[in-house]
Amino acid sequence: MTSLILKTAMRLIVPLAMLFAAYMALKGHNEPGGGFIGGLIASVSLALYRMTYGVDSFDKLFPIHPRILVFVGLTCAVLTAIFPLLLGRPLLTSYEHYLNLGFGQSVHFVTAAIFDIGVLLVVVGVSVGMIDRLSREVEKS
Amino acid sequence: MISTQLLSLLGEVQTPLANAANTAMAQGGGSMNRTLLLMIAIFAPLTTGLITLFYPRKLITPRVLTALAGTVVSFLILLSFDVQPTDAPTGPIASIDWMPILNLNFAFLTDGLGLFFALLVSGIGALIVLYARGYFGRNEDDLYRFYPTLGFFTTAMIGVVLADYMLLTLLFWELTSISSFLLIGWDRYDKHAVKLGMQAFVTTGMGGMGLFGGILLFGSTTDVWTWTNFIHWLPENTQLLTDINNPVFWSFILLFFGAATKSAQFPWQYWLPGAMAAPTPVSAFLHSATMVKAGVFLIGRLLPVFGGLLVVTNGEAVFRAGLDIWPWLITIIGGFTMVLGALLSINQHDLKRIFAYTTVSQLGLLVCMYGLGSFSYTYDGQLFQNLDYDITQIANHAFYKAPLFIIAGALGHVLSRDITDLNGAIKKHPAMCITLILAAYGLAAGPGTISFQAKELFLYAIYHLKYTPVGNWWMLLMGAAIITATCNVAIFLRLTTTLIGLPGGYTADPNKHETDHHHHEHEHTVMGKIWASMIWVPAAVLVSFQYVGGFSPSTWMHFFGPLESYNNYFAVEYHGIPTFWYAIASGISHGSVPLMCSGIAILCGIILGFSPIFRGVVTDICDKIYPSIYWLAVTGGGRAFRTIQTGNMRHYTLLVLSFFLIMFYLITYNDTNMINSALEQFAFITEFKPGLFLGIIICATSLALPLVSHRIIRILLLGSCGFTVVAMYLVYQAPDLALTQLTFEIISVVLFVLVIRLLPRDVPKSRPSPLWRIPVAALAGIAFGWMTLVAVGEDPLTKIGAYFPMNTYAAGLEDVYNLGRGGGGMNIVNVILVDFRGFDTLGEITVLSLAALGVWSLLPSRRSRKSA
Repeated sequence: MTSLILKTAMRLIVPLAMLFAAYMALKGHNEPGGGFIGGLIASVSLALYRMTYGVDSFDKLFPIHPRILVFVGLTCAVLTAIFPLLLGRPLLTSYEHYLNLGFGQSVHFVTAAIFDIGVLLVVVGVSVGMIDRLSREVEKS
Repeated sequence: MISTQLLSLLGEVQTPLANAANTAMAQGGGSMNRTLLLMIAIFAPLTTGLITLFYPRKLITPRVLTALAGTVVSFLILLSFDVQPTDAPTGPIASIDWMPILNLNFAFLTDGLGLFFALLVSGIGALIVLYARGYFGRNEDDLYRFYPTLGFFTTAMIGVVLADYMLLTLLFWELTSISSFLLIGWDRYDKHAVKLGMQAFVTTGMGGMGLFGGILLFGSTTDVWTWTNFIHWLPENTQLLTDINNPVFWSFILLFFGAATKSAQFPWQYWLPGAMAAPTPVSAFLHSATMVKAGVFLIGRLLPVFGGLLVVTNGEAVFRAGLDIWPWLITIIGGFTMVLGALLSINQHDLKRIFAYTTVSQLGLLVCMYGLGSFSYTYDGQLFQNLDYDITQIANHAFYKAPLFIIAGALGHVLSRDITDLNGAIKKHPAMCITLILAAYGLAAGPGTISFQAKELFLYAIYHLKYTPVGNWWMLLMGAAIITATCNVAIFLRLTTTLIGLPGGYTADPNKHETDHHHHEHEHTVMGKIWASMIWVPAAVLVSFQYVGGFSPSTWMHFFGPLESYNNYFAVEYHGIPTFWYAIASGISHGSVPLMCSGIAILCGIILGFSPIFRGVVTDICDKIYPSIYWLAVTGGGRAFRTIQTGNMRHYTLLVLSFFLIMFYLITYNDTNMINSALEQFAFITEFKPGLFLGIIICATSLALPLVSHRIIRILLLGSCGFTVVAMYLVYQAPDLALTQLTFEIISVVLFVLVIRLLPRDVPKSRPSPLWRIPVAALAGIAFGWMTLVAVGEDPLTKIGAYFPMNTYAAGLEDVYNLGRGGGGMNIVNVILVDFRGFDTLGEITVLSLAALGVWSLLPSRRSRKSA
């Protein structure tokens, strides 16, 4: 797993995959994509990076414990879910908003996107966390 | 935003306030203030109990005073209430909405019965707070823990007796079960005590379930959910009350079951003596005035409808009969419990057990008395209900039983609780022993105590059965009453002779065992002496009521008379309780049968008291009921679990799949549509050539699975299955699903490989798997596929599936930004995930997080160890 070609390729692939994951998560509401897919793509690229570069470089790239991601993601999702309750609307009601960018352009924003980001973070946290944890165990033995 | 919420809440409160003003009652309490005041009275003991938790452990006196304040406040508030008349069907007064849709609100009924019990509980509760200080001494840990629990129990008990909504009664009822469990199992390190606490909890909790069922059954049948309405509930046809097939009948049986378990009626009396494992303040409280009386209280509540009631309409008294079964069921069970308790009590040596069984006996008497209440008789041209002064009966018991327990605990502290060790104890502890003898005189229903008149009234009620359809069978019950009274007199005599050291008393048993002998700290300061004396002073206070009632019944009636008017159906003038000399004198001059029976009982009691028989210790056979049920549940349950839970994964899968197949077969057997709609789909099979091709690959890989034994190859085969499914998605234009499946397959294969490498080496199987697993697997696969076909075959527009596309981009792709309907997105898959079925997704990510937490906690991370 330490071939030079793979290592060099990963330097390009990981940022691109991350970008792609973010793109997937953000445009998911209107085109193919979504938080879950985005999270999985990010996880796959991170897992690949970990395999290529080993545990020490991975710790540098990913300095926090994955459970923090899980916590933040779940909090995000739960807050988005219960926020409408405070306004007297049903759980998980989605609010739409159009951010005007000028020049007749606008961005269509829904609150469900925040929920989707939460899903993404949980998926990344869980899958990267599990793979990392189990890999360490394998490497130890 | 929050302030608007608060305002709207306030508005909701104001509305019932206005309603309450309209329905204001004559007693002037019919306002929201009344309900709030009663809520304060109910929750004051709990609140002050919890406040004591915040005191430093060393502060004992403030702790006692705070706990005392709660019960005293509660008592004073209740004292300020007049008896609420219940003659007009008004419905509950001023209810504060809690869960109106479930018929569960805060509203309180302060009729004679409820108010009496509430006063009794809070009054004796206050004395128990003081007694606990004397009993536990300066034991900080016990006092720290005791007052909050006691407050919890007091609150629950006052709630039971005051609640108007039946379900609110149930709620408090269950709280008494929980808090009494905490109190009985007080000594957490004594396994026996914990077991007995469990026994009491399971038994009374089971009764609580009966009560729950009874309330639900009655409420759903008649739409009566409050006691106020219950008292005025009359079946449209009286058939309802006699018909055994009517739900009302069974609701009564369930309600009685609840009352009987709580009030320790045969065969559930075993929990009450078992509950003596509790510290004595608890015993004195639970078994004299409160916990066990809850059942009696409930029967009293049920009496006017299920038992019978004297109704006065237009000056004419009519007896409204209740259920036919009431007198038989209640009188017989109560009467039997009465005799059983008396016979068991005389054959005991432990003071607390003696008094526990006399409690059982007295509870039987009280229940039996309510059974007699469903009869009426005519005397001197006037119609009477065969039930007099039920509250006097109940109060009289509390006023001698609580002192008995209190002194039993006190003697257990300083000497011993075993009666054989107490010979001549009066010389060492005169105050305690005199109080005990005075209280025991009440137990024996001696003339001069209110107990005497109460017992006379009970005997009269039995005698009056002669004029009812019961006829001469009254003698049977009278015999039971005489036996009970005999035992009580004998217990009194033996206690007195033992304590004073006269002949006839118990003497020390040479081969006795050590009973629980608490360490007693002597306090030498003046203040300390006052607190230490609290170990017997509350008993003396309580027992004085016995003699006030005995020598001056008019004083007694002044306080308890107003509470006696069960409800205003009684138009009968109260002739009051006679003084005991009048009762005796007029009884003798009239040759009264009840008085004669009473005399026989006293005579027999004196003989029995001095006789050598019945001096051993017997064990109640019903004590075996709970342990045997427990044994059955634990041992039998263990055996059943070992049969089903083999721990073999293949076994579980097989069970699940077989069950699924049976279900599938039953459904298709009864529904031809399940077959036809799937068969219709087969007609289009040639239109799906790419899918067919991919499906064959999937089938082939899965068939190859059992043929390889290497784990990694199996995982790769599974992965190839998954990747073929990805191809399937791509062919049928589902890019979202394809992408998800693709990345998911990558991750799962990686995870599987990692986990497999951590597993121990795969041991080759000693014998080949049975072949019949193949058909089960194949059939299950076919069934799943079949179900998919049926689901697809249904008209999509009639299904919920149609809702999603309509609301995702119903107006067409180009209009969705303008209209912004539904989920406001164009990707239906994602809109379903985060919007329509967002709750599912929320649940899924929660489960995912939990799974990850499991991995992290099972395999503690090196990284976290480094940082820690």
